[in-house]
Amino acid sequence: MTSEKGVSRGRGRRGPFSELLRVEGKLALRAPYGLGLGIIFPTVLLSVFGLIGSAVPGNVANTGFTILELYIPIIIVIEFFGVALTALPIPLVRDRESGWLRRVSTTPVGPSRVLAAQMVLNLAFALAGIVIVLIGSVAVFGATLSVSIYFVFSTILALAEIFSLGLLIAAIAPTQTAQNAISGALFFAMLFLSGLWYPAAEASGPLQTIMYYSPGGAAVNAMLESAFGTGPPLSAVATMVVYAIVFAAVAIRYFRWE
Amino acid sequence: MVDHLRKQYGNTLAVADVSFSVSEGEIFGIIGPNGAGKTTTVECISGLRTPSSGSISVYGLSPQKDRGKMREFVGVQLQETALPPRLKVGEAVNLFASFYARPLNPDELLESLGIRQIEDSIYKNLSGGQKQRLSIALALVGRPKIAILDELTTGLDPEARRETWDLIEGIRRGGATVILVTHFMDEAERLCDRLTLINHGAVAVLDTPEAIAAMAGGTRVRFVPSRQLDDKTLLEIPGVTQVERKERYVTVIGNGDLALSVMSSLAKIGVSVSELEARKGSLDDAFVELTKDGQSKVSRGTQK
Repeated sequence: MTSEKGVSRGRGRRGPFSELLRVEGKLALRAPYGLGLGIIFPTVLLSVFGLIGSAVPGNVANTGFTILELYIPIIIVIEFFGVALTALPIPLVRDRESGWLRRVSTTPVGPSRVLAAQMVLNLAFALAGIVIVLIGSVAVFGATLSVSIYFVFSTILALAEIFSLGLLIAAIAPTQTAQNAISGALFFAMLFLSGLWYPAAEASGPLQTIMYYSPGGAAVNAMLESAFGTGPPLSAVATMVVYAIVFAAVAIRYFRWE
Repeated sequence: MVDHLRKQYGNTLAVADVSFSVSEGEIFGIIGPNGAGKTTTVECISGLRTPSSGSISVYGLSPQKDRGKMREFVGVQLQETALPPRLKVGEAVNLFASFYARPLNPDELLESLGIRQIEDSIYKNLSGGQKQRLSIALALVGRPKIAILDELTTGLDPEARRETWDLIEGIRRGGATVILVTHFMDEAERLCDRLTLINHGAVAVLDTPEAIAAMAGGTRVRFVPSRQLDDKTLLEIPGVTQVERKERYVTVIGNGDLALSVMSSLAKIGVSVSELEARKGSLDDAFVELTKDGQSKVSRGTQK
């Protein structure tokens, strides 16, 4: 019985959603995914590529961008994938499998609020990650980027597309085991297609085309051109919009509470 | 309240025809062998499932159409529901308290269920009994008018079961109606005002526990005779209608002052009896009688 408990209880009753958000937030912090993939992972990647960038200054090959510039959007996008493909679906699939969502559905609040709380929390993790990457790259590694309206627009589209993919996994994975397997495989594929090993800007031919029309590659391309160029290519924007609509539609079609 | 409920899953008929009505403030029991359709019935009442046909009305509301309104005053304890593994006991109860308009005080509820001292434990570290009590706490914290409790005391030790029974009687004293699904006959006998026995998806009987127990037929006298007796001799004893044997024990079932009748009749033929035990037919006996079709099993194996 700590004294801290007595304070947090009873007085000034919270509304159901803020209480749910608080409890889901505590649960998220007791599991490693949100913090690890949303905050630690991008911090580590930024440090690595920031240091490589300072060791190898100047533009990369024929891309017109420095190493750090190339990797800023890649780190942001794979941070989004990390959160959306693991931290988001894991508790949803688990709580559905265990009957918890069904249990909540017998209360006046209903399980859709659990989903909403998870969305809010994980978007917060994703945004914390992007703030770390942007501030870190400018303040620590001296990147010159412009957070323009295009950049914000591209980021929102990327979040919409990538979080819809996360919900799609939560919708179609029948069990936690299946969800783990799907998330793992997709995350790995997305790391590659987003350009973690080989940025799309450096690639050429069919590989570059495949990357540019993948969910991750399109997001990276749009954010790169928004931050350091003139604005997102229309093809990248269109690609993200199509993926967002398709993923969201399938997720809504197949989502089950029990 | 429930009228000709029928629920079919594909080709499997879970509930064929169940009708009953529960009065306000009573503890209504639903008993029956495994797979009889008990859980499906209460899940239809709580709005989790939609009946294939038939109708259910709870305070004039339909659990399916008016689900939103009903959630506020129906507390449900489901079979086999787990909480998020790292959720703490206190957090779970406070969370559920926040869902309702006028909840019970979470601390007092935990206290009365004897789990206040583990409020900082996370769910996956709880014992079976502790999980069960937490589940009860979640069903009651909203101060429900109707509490639907499914297999409430399964997995609890005898002491915890008794405490839970006191708690259920407490709920009723508080004015709530309780629908209790159980396969423990002693629990049904002790708690329920009325109960229905469901077998193969249909109501086999609906009455007070005493009346149902009486269906098992009068008195049972069990004893060890000083020498072997055949059935014919036993059935000639006035009042005896049925004879059962188990090892060296003989049980006669019948009416009237059976123990006295057995002793005097046997004394006349020079047989003495020892370890004599007489009792009224119990709910257990009635359960066995009413579900006797080779397919059902009794969960409490005291009387076969």
